[in-house]
Amino acid sequence: MSAMHKFIKVVDAINYRIGRVTMYGIFVMMAILLWSSISKTFFDPSLWTLEMAQFAMVAYYILGGPYSIQMGTNVRMDLLYGEWSTRRKAAVDIVTVLFLIFYLVVLLWGGIDSTMYSFQYGGERSPTAWRPYLWPIKVIMCTGITLMLLQALSELAKDILRLRGEEIPHVV
Amino acid sequence: MSYEMIAIFMFATMMAMLLTGQRVFGAIGFVAVIAALVLWGDRGGYDLAFSSAMKLMKWYPLLTLPMFIFMGYVLSESKIADDLYKMFHVWMGGLRGGLAIGTIGLMVLISAMNGLSVAGMAIGATIALPELLKRNYDKRMVTGVIQAGSSLGILVPPSVVLVLYAMIARQPVGQLWLAGIVPGLMMAALFILYIVVRCHFNPSLGPALSEEERAMPRAEKLALLRAGLLPVVIFATMMVPFVNGWTSLVESSAIGAITAFVAAVLKGRMTREVFENSVRMTLGISCMFMWIILAALAFGAVFDGLGAVNAIKDLFTDRLDLDPWVVLILMQLSFIIMGTFLDDTAMLVIVAPLYVPLVKALGFDLIWYGVLYTITTQIAYMTPPFGYNLFLMRAMAPPEITLKDIYGSILPFVLVMVFALSLVILFPQIALWLPNYVYGN
Amino acid sequence: QSTIKWRMQTYAGSALAEHVVKPAVDMFNKIAGDRMQIELFYADQLVPTGELFRAMQRGTIDAVQSDDDSMASPTDVTVFGGYFPFASRYSLDVPVLFNQYGLNEIWDEEYSKVGVKHISAGAWDPCHFATKDPINSLADLKGKRIFTFPTAGRFLTQFGVVPVTLPWEDIEVAMQTGELDGVAWSGITEDYTVGWADVTNYFLTNNISGAWAGSFFANMDRWNELPEDLQTLFRVCCDQSHYYRQWWYWGGEASLRVDGTKMELTTIPDEEWATVEAAAQTFWDEIAAESETKAKVVAIIKKYNADMQKAGRPYRYG
Ligand code: NA
Ligand code: NA
Repeated sequence: MSAMHKFIKVVDAINYRIGRVTMYGIFVMMAILLWSSISKTFFDPSLWTLEMAQFAMVAYYILGGPYSIQMGTNVRMDLLYGEWSTRRKAAVDIVTVLFLIFYLVVLLWGGIDSTMYSFQYGGERSPTAWRPYLWPIKVIMCTGITLMLLQALSELAKDILRLRGEEIPHVV
Repeated sequence: MSYEMIAIFMFATMMAMLLTGQRVFGAIGFVAVIAALVLWGDRGGYDLAFSSAMKLMKWYPLLTLPMFIFMGYVLSESKIADDLYKMFHVWMGGLRGGLAIGTIGLMVLISAMNGLSVAGMAIGATIALPELLKRNYDKRMVTGVIQAGSSLGILVPPSVVLVLYAMIARQPVGQLWLAGIVPGLMMAALFILYIVVRCHFNPSLGPALSEEERAMPRAEKLALLRAGLLPVVIFATMMVPFVNGWTSLVESSAIGAITAFVAAVLKGRMTREVFENSVRMTLGISCMFMWIILAALAFGAVFDGLGAVNAIKDLFTDRLDLDPWVVLILMQLSFIIMGTFLDDTAMLVIVAPLYVPLVKALGFDLIWYGVLYTITTQIAYMTPPFGYNLFLMRAMAPPEITLKDIYGSILPFVLVMVFALSLVILFPQIALWLPNYVYGN
Repeated sequence: QSTIKWRMQTYAGSALAEHVVKPAVDMFNKIAGDRMQIELFYADQLVPTGELFRAMQRGTIDAVQSDDDSMASPTDVTVFGGYFPFASRYSLDVPVLFNQYGLNEIWDEEYSKVGVKHISAGAWDPCHFATKDPINSLADLKGKRIFTFPTAGRFLTQFGVVPVTLPWEDIEVAMQTGELDGVAWSGITEDYTVGWADVTNYFLTNNISGAWAGSFFANMDRWNELPEDLQTLFRVCCDQSHYYRQWWYWGGEASLRVDGTKMELTTIPDEEWATVEAAAQTFWDEIAAESETKAKVVAIIKKYNADMQKAGRPYRYG
């Protein structure tokens, strides 16, 4: 098995597992929002629910991103693309996925910078009454973006294999 | 290069990138970060992409998005709408075109339970379409009925499109939702009128069901009406606490999703497979939306930094000296044209932020415009060659429905929708009466 | 010689910025002409408020108008920006504290440490509650979800208030989507100017601070690159902005209480409100215990208020 095969297998397997866990995050968001309405109706409103739900939402879509690429749910404009052969699609994707990768690199660059900042000055806190530290969510975001980047590289590798006419390793 | 030129260049590059067929979020994000780096690279231009992620986190109404998506999948995957369909089938089947009319009724009820058009489409294509074809309904007409009917999902509350519009335009979601009700029902009525007229002159398009096909004891017939309670219950558990101020919008969306889930469990429809599909697809579709919005926010921040909105405003109002109404109609036309080749989510998050400030500057009501905007989006959803509904239909419809049928089925309904759009433009009260009545201003 | 271009972002949305910053920026641009132009951006427009300070440190944004508190500047004086409970009674107290009681020097030192130039501080409006339901006693505050500043929120939790922080531009919508029961963010002038008077019904005449303290800041390198005359012009325009707000708020607060029709006024009796004022003294001591710099600022605020007390009318009544 070539290094490329191995890379695809490992990355896809990791992202698949993370995605499978992340997808249950929908119930986490529901639970937080349900608690928010219960606490508001019967007790004092909670300080933390809205912000916690926002954190959960961000973790949900950032960590779930690579799995959504595996599922192929990220829309493409298929006016031209839809008509192309598999080979042609692979050939074009090899070039254009580099643009996607570039975007993710810049996103990650900003993310790391912002995360480093939240460790400085005694720890950045959200300017709310709950005042949670921001580094945990930022670390999750950077992790998710990194995984997304790896998934994009895995897609690139798959297209290269497709062009070469080699078999694509199938995960799970 | 002047800022206006950079803005036009960015837009053109993005269009070209989208045509390559790369994932939409990648195409938009790439143009945004390149522009930010070129313009402000030495001054932290690389920050803009990530700071959009922080901005998105603070957009709390976005929490409704995964909730409504989940709700839609639970409704369509678990087929708890089957009984609803049976209800319309038995009660309306005796009329000419009655099943098609019943399908519009079904779509209205489904629209009241979910925020996207996907669920209506799935239910329509998998439950209603095969039945309609079996009864010798004209395949072009019924394909159009389902596509047009399912587009009501974003106009009748709850509506995800109106939530996104509300955030962009900074308008209250509650009023926007109320503003969508009357135009939504009016459009449903126009669809029905169209069906009645067509079937009156050409009964073979929608033959009435024979007596024996509908034969059923009266008690059973009445029992079927109970199916109509489900949407009422789900709609009420969501909207009553919200309108009364007991729960907030995002909390209501969670309650709606939980109610739909519980309903499916109680009806014994929440199988392992349904559960798996709903949960997985909710993640997939939510990620699709979120990543596009994330990229588009970065794109928008660069556009803002360039002052592009002001430039466009000046171009239309000062340099071209156009009448506000002409500008408004041009904008709607441009949406429909862009909708023929641009993905609708991209259209929403990129084009709307440019147009909404312009609409405001021209002195139009932003609640009213939200309804115009949504109807226009619906039309764009359905018009070939690029339209979500078209693709979904192609994916879900039985094999005897060809792409040609799908494209051909659309035209009369698009005309009806353009007519409805014109009515709302000419008589803003159609949209504004209800929110004004409820919120009393 | 090419035009120097600055990008400045304010904490305020466009409706409010029309008064609190835009006139000064327009004036600056008119006078500086081809030499320098400042482009003004509103709340969350280029970067979200939470990222504002870092964006200025980095230079993505050249200058900022904000209070220290809501942009969470990583300094020891952050809590004193915005509304530090009962630190001032009138809007003139703020410039006196900064110019005559030594706060300018402390702010300059603190911000220099993090690569930011503190240009000047000024006063805004007092901090009142605007709510959907009436507040006639402290008990009415209990359980209310209120949009307010971080430090004010921290102080108010002891009275059962549930502070909520959201992007400024989203507040009007959040009132209507049921996310909020009210705001404790401004005086009545702002409530009317930004549209909050349309979504609330009651205005509480007691305030938890007589004046908001906000500042103009700039990226240190950008500031140092400016020729001295443009630095001076910038300062003059900041002062013009401070002056404009003095009369705009002072006049507006009175006339809208008298002639405003959108909100009904309510009042918590003085004896009951005194418990809130007493709680502020405890709160000051808690803050002072957190660091040496904070202790220094609290000491200045205490000294100032004692002086005002001794000076008697019209500085302090009773
Ligand atoms: Na709907
Ligand atoms: Na289209």
